[in-house]
Amino acid sequence: MNGCNHMGHLTPALLVDLAEGIKAEHSVPHLARCDACRRALAELRTTMADVAGPGIPEHSGCDVPEPSPLFWDHLSTRVREAVAEQGAHGRAHWFEAWSRPLVALPILATVTATAVLAVVTLRKPPVPNPIPATPLPILQSTLLPSLPPLEPLGAPDDPALALMADYGTSLGWDELREEMAGVSHSGAIDEAVITLSTEERQELQRLLEEEMTQPSALGAS
Amino acid sequence: MYQLCYRFVGNHEDASDLTQDVFFRAYRGLSGFRGGSSLATWLYRIGVNACLNRVSARKPITEELDARQHVDTRNESPSERVLRQERGARVREAIAQLPPKQRATLVLRMYQELSHEEIADVLGSSVGAVKANFFHALGNLKKLLGGERL
Repeated sequence: MNGCNHMGHLTPALLVDLAEGIKAEHSVPHLARCDACRRALAELRTTMADVAGPGIPEHSGCDVPEPSPLFWDHLSTRVREAVAEQGAHGRAHWFEAWSRPLVALPILATVTATAVLAVVTLRKPPVPNPIPATPLPILQSTLLPSLPPLEPLGAPDDPALALMADYGTSLGWDELREEMAGVSHSGAIDEAVITLSTEERQELQRLLEEEMTQPSALGAS
Repeated sequence: MYQLCYRFVGNHEDASDLTQDVFFRAYRGLSGFRGGSSLATWLYRIGVNACLNRVSARKPITEELDARQHVDTRNESPSERVLRQERGARVREAIAQLPPKQRATLVLRMYQELSHEEIADVLGSSVGAVKANFFHALGNLKKLLGGERL
């Protein structure tokens, strides 16, 4: 690009460069032989000088009144306030958006359903392991061939059998089954202790102390 | 920034509002500033956009001469002061009538002293377009001022 337009004159960009001194006049030979371009350049320089004023731009004819130093203090305060206000408005806008029925109702319904489900699940008592109605299979001697054969039950001189017989007559098996089912969940032992009477607790304590004072118990601990 | 805004709107009240708006926008957009241009160029871009939006929304109100109380006039005679104020008012009115891009280019070049490359960066155009805009802005100003010697 030689800086001339289709009429052969200098382009606006080149004239601006010449007027501002970015390009030297002697570097553009066209200027020496074109009165129109010289005139255009002279007018451009005159207008620039008029707009800028005599010399330095800050002393020009359309200089800006300098605001007082207090203006800058107030400006920073105003900007801070605007930022805070926008933040508050943003939070309010967020709440407003979330409080719209179309948004809030499905969310509220979901949260409520989840909460109800959680409560129902947590409050449902654990299903106790059912005690089989049929007696558990007794180990057969074929499984443990090394053990001696069991003594036949019902020997009349066995005191343990007499004790069991007493228990058997006084104990309701259905009640025992329910009781066993009730204490099968975690924490059931604590609950059972709480339900004991004072005499029963004292007896339990005595039995435990007796058990602990035995040499085998101490040795184990 | 205040000076840039004042060049566009021509009065202290709007210029201070605009300056506040520019810094507020800059604060909000600072996290999005990627350093592709200098911070000053980025600020000028915000400022020019804010000013162009403002002046396109309403005609600027140019202050009366007596309202310009903050100019340093200690070395001026009263007559010189009046002449300078009259000249400034005429130029401001003429600049206010320029098309937005020419106006922005002229203000940034003549009063903010940005280079043509910086102005191109601010306005998002080419350097050649900036120089052409500047040329036409000066030509239009000459016509608006009626060829009178200021």
